[in-house]
Amino acid sequence: MLKIKDLRVSYGKLKVLKGVNLEIKEGECLGVIGESGTGKTTLALSIMRLVDEDSSASLEGEIFFQEKNLMEMDEEMIRKIRWNSISIVFQNKEDALNPVHTILDQVKEPIMENGGESKKEATEKAIHLLSQVGLASRCIKAYPHQLSEGEKQRSLLAMALANDPEVLILDEPVSSLDTTSKADMITKIKRLSRGYSVLVVTHDISTVAKLTDRVAVLYGGRIVELASTPLLLSNPRHPYTRGLLRSYPNMTTTKDLQGMKGRMQPVEKGCPFYPRCTQVVDVCKRKNPELQKIGERFLACHRGGILPFLKVKNLTKYFDSFRAVDSVCLTLYEGETLGLVGESGAGKTTLAKSIMGLFHSEGEIYLEGEKVGERDKKFYKTVQMIFQNPRESLSHRLNVLEAVREPLDIYKIGSFRQRSQKVEQTLTEVELPSDEEFLDRYPHHLSGGEIQRVVIARALVLDPKLLIADEPTSFLDASIQAKIVRLLLNLQEKRGLGLLFITHDIALARKVSDRLVVMLKGKIVEEGPTPQILSSPSHPYTRNLLRVAPTLT
Amino acid sequence: MHIKYWEELKKDTFGKIGLVLFLFFIVIVLIAPFITRDPQVQTALVFEAPSLEHLLGTNDVGQDIWSRLVWGARTSLLVAIGVGMLSTFLGALIGASAALIGGWYEEIAMRIIDAFLVIPTVILLILVAAFIRPSIWLLIVLISFLRWQGGARIIRSQTLSLKESVHISAAKSFGASRFYILFRHIIPDLAPILVVSFIYSARMAVFMEAGLAFIGITDPSVVSWGKMMHHALNFYYLDIWKWWLLPAGMALSALILVFAFLGYSLEKIMDPRLRKSNA
Amino acid sequence: MNLKRKITNYGIAFLIILSLNFLLPRLMPGTPLTAIYGEEVLVQMTPEFKASLIKRFALDEPLYKQFIFYIFSLFRGDLGYSYYQSGSVFQIILAHLPWTFLLVGFSLILSTIGGIILGIESGWRRGKITDKAILTGMMTLSGFPSFFMGIMLLLFFAVNLGLFPLQGARTPYADIYGIWLVLDVVKHFILPLAALVLVEVSGCYLLTRNTMIMTLRKSFILTAKAKGLPDKKVRYRHAGRNSLLPVVTRTGIKLGTAVTGALFIEIIFSYPGVGNLIYSSLLMRDYPVLQGTLLMVAIFVLAANFFVDLIYKKLDPRVQNAY
Repeated sequence: MLKIKDLRVSYGKLKVLKGVNLEIKEGECLGVIGESGTGKTTLALSIMRLVDEDSSASLEGEIFFQEKNLMEMDEEMIRKIRWNSISIVFQNKEDALNPVHTILDQVKEPIMENGGESKKEATEKAIHLLSQVGLASRCIKAYPHQLSEGEKQRSLLAMALANDPEVLILDEPVSSLDTTSKADMITKIKRLSRGYSVLVVTHDISTVAKLTDRVAVLYGGRIVELASTPLLLSNPRHPYTRGLLRSYPNMTTTKDLQGMKGRMQPVEKGCPFYPRCTQVVDVCKRKNPELQKIGERFLACHRGGILPFLKVKNLTKYFDSFRAVDSVCLTLYEGETLGLVGESGAGKTTLAKSIMGLFHSEGEIYLEGEKVGERDKKFYKTVQMIFQNPRESLSHRLNVLEAVREPLDIYKIGSFRQRSQKVEQTLTEVELPSDEEFLDRYPHHLSGGEIQRVVIARALVLDPKLLIADEPTSFLDASIQAKIVRLLLNLQEKRGLGLLFITHDIALARKVSDRLVVMLKGKIVEEGPTPQILSSPSHPYTRNLLRVAPTLT
Repeated sequence: MHIKYWEELKKDTFGKIGLVLFLFFIVIVLIAPFITRDPQVQTALVFEAPSLEHLLGTNDVGQDIWSRLVWGARTSLLVAIGVGMLSTFLGALIGASAALIGGWYEEIAMRIIDAFLVIPTVILLILVAAFIRPSIWLLIVLISFLRWQGGARIIRSQTLSLKESVHISAAKSFGASRFYILFRHIIPDLAPILVVSFIYSARMAVFMEAGLAFIGITDPSVVSWGKMMHHALNFYYLDIWKWWLLPAGMALSALILVFAFLGYSLEKIMDPRLRKSNA
Repeated sequence: MNLKRKITNYGIAFLIILSLNFLLPRLMPGTPLTAIYGEEVLVQMTPEFKASLIKRFALDEPLYKQFIFYIFSLFRGDLGYSYYQSGSVFQIILAHLPWTFLLVGFSLILSTIGGIILGIESGWRRGKITDKAILTGMMTLSGFPSFFMGIMLLLFFAVNLGLFPLQGARTPYADIYGIWLVLDVVKHFILPLAALVLVEVSGCYLLTRNTMIMTLRKSFILTAKAKGLPDKKVRYRHAGRNSLLPVVTRTGIKLGTAVTGALFIEIIFSYPGVGNLIYSSLLMRDYPVLQGTLLMVAIFVLAANFFVDLIYKKLDPRVQNAY
């Protein structure tokens, strides 16, 4: 129905859209999601050819509507397309409705202008439309300021439908509404937009979830991911999409809200997301990735989306004849938390130690796609582990400085001074003091929380990308535990740190994990996105875990 | 938002022209004694055409028109600056105090301000001037007293919104005193508005002084452009209006333009919506 | 609430004018009679006439009684007596009023319509060459004081080119009727009107242009364009209509200053309106006429402002709820 090809829009020097390709098929509802400043509204206005109004704007590319290129049309032709074929519901902020004309007049206006209907017919049609969107009859002849936000938004919807367009664009159709009117409005839109080809432009993920069939994610003027709505929302593959979902408060996900590092900034060349991405490689800074079809979705990422960072295949560990870990397969993606849940004796720690190469085991391990044989220094620089009992994992002979510096000493990284600096920097990162006095302390001078932080600092000092945390908080009081968990999540947000979070406590795992793996007697019995496992566990053991999990009632 | 007024003013075409012309007037007025002769001295040389001796010729009583033109600028600028300062001061005093004190005081002040706004002040001024024949200083006071209300209104509303603004609340939460807030926050924030109020009052004062002089109800001993035009008009059948009436009228228009340009330019700078840069 | 406040304002304004009118002559040195009529006139008056005037305005009574008397005589339409023109001040003013109405009315209508249209067109083309040209022209125009503008038109069109009569509202003692009379009046009318319109138009233009620029930023303009409305409808029906509100308010306030503006123009063209009446009474020191005129003009301005308040409600539906 509507095909956008390589659309580029810039205002003066500011490039807003940098080559957008999109297609809205007949009768489908396509969502475009993105934060403010990503160019969503510009995209909507470009289709209506309304950005040209700004004298500094320049438009390139093609927009085909029913095989006709809108970009080649003159003002008079485009005027006939507007509202008759493509109409738009603007976000109702700052007077989207003219304050000096009545609602009826404004809805009637396009019908009379374009349709050639008589005044009486136009009035009848307008009233019909307004009652269809559920506007009370007292509102029909009212002025905009006499209506509530919800009523205004509904009038805008009625107005957009006035000339039976083929394509309906909705720009933030519910953002100005409170939650209840929002739900009502979404139902109305859903019912009334049936049969139209709809483009919904919004920053609100739940609107997209409820309205659209497919959804495109816009960042820095480019589409970075495009897939069917349920797929994209349950399993985002672009780091930006994942970050967006993580930061969106909702009733589905249980992990704590997380942001993304840095802020949106214009990028001259390369991938628009690279300054904020935690898995950047050289090519990301040089070349913009094209939107490519990968499986069921389209994705623009040089690395093929979020990397499967660690892959474990058929890992088996025998203690004599006892199979402590039984052909375990799991994948941990870049920057995500994989919660490994199970009762004591399920083989969680054995699995962790096997991955770390501390136990000899059978099976294969892949790190960033490469098969790992002997664990060498390169491996340990990338993967670090914090052990279950932190106090034991620190030598009582080493003070804080020496303990944290140890990995650097081992790897002979930098000069003595540089190492000390790195230690201080890392201590600050884990929110510990880095003064002389503290550096000089020995483990028995430290509290439980401090020790855990020192251990984390020691694990981080080599800047690993993956941290295996084996019951990192089981020795801590609840209030300290909360802080340590928060710290780990912050590090994840900042560094893209992957976490294999091992715990027996599913309530804790629920707050930190993107995905969950449930382990029983050396085997993995269930694996999936956290909300899905929590809401519909398939294995009886998982169900039992959830039943006995701590609650406050 | 912080606006660099001076920079913006210099960038704006109208602002630039206004500033240059204003400086020109100031310089002329300052060096007047060196470039003119006594404007009041009457000679036997009447109705002389322009010559090197008399740049703009002489009038009906043999006074040098050029000198009278330059000294007329003094009168106009004096009235402009005098009224500008006095009426802005009055406006600021009453407007700001109404906003800060509130209550009955504010109510009364606002009623008086609104009432004055619907009074035809020019005619009232003419009536008063006709009765008391004011000297130039009294004229400044009179015009100021009839013309502070517009400024007061704007200053009050601005002060009110300032009073409620968060950065003032923040300052209060740090324990700032009333005086500190007044001098450190409110007055500096009001400054641009005061300047605009000054400019518009000045512009109106120049017009009023010339107008009153034109209809002959100001101090007859003061040289004034309005009076020059009034006199010159009596001799419209002679060619003399070309170098008598026209220069005076042009000078008057130019001075009013200075204030109009500066005011328009400053207003544009203050209202970011009118500025071009954020299109 | 708002309406009540407005009425209070008008009341206070009216009271201030009344008091000034009453007090000014009585605060001058000498007897009130001297102050009201001036030394020169008194000399010529007969004692009987003086006595009748004192009785008529209760000038021998204490001040507060004089004031009450003053108010009562105002209600009777008695604004005083002009010795020079030997007639009732009220009648004299009434004779001059139509000419001023004609001048002010037409100039206000023309300058407002012209200013609005130019402002809308200019704001719509903001930053383009047409806009810049109109803006510069209008800004320059705003520098010309009304009397200079009048003088220039007079000197150029009437004196130099001889296209229009020099002064007056019609040819004196001309024995003409019907269409010729109308033509004669129009001929006298054009120059003063042109001067006034030229002086007034820039203010209206600047305001319209500014509001237009702000209105064009509003989302409903985008809505209107998206609806596929032709440019003209977007410009006038949507943007223009919304830009009109402040302009109307201004026109109301302008009514007062327009009379003042007309004052100078009337003087220059010797146009027999109220302004000219003020000027001639000023020259003759006919203070009763001066005071009476001020009062009449003030009442007229107050009434006009009130009228505008009423119109405003019709134009902006949002205001209706304010009351």
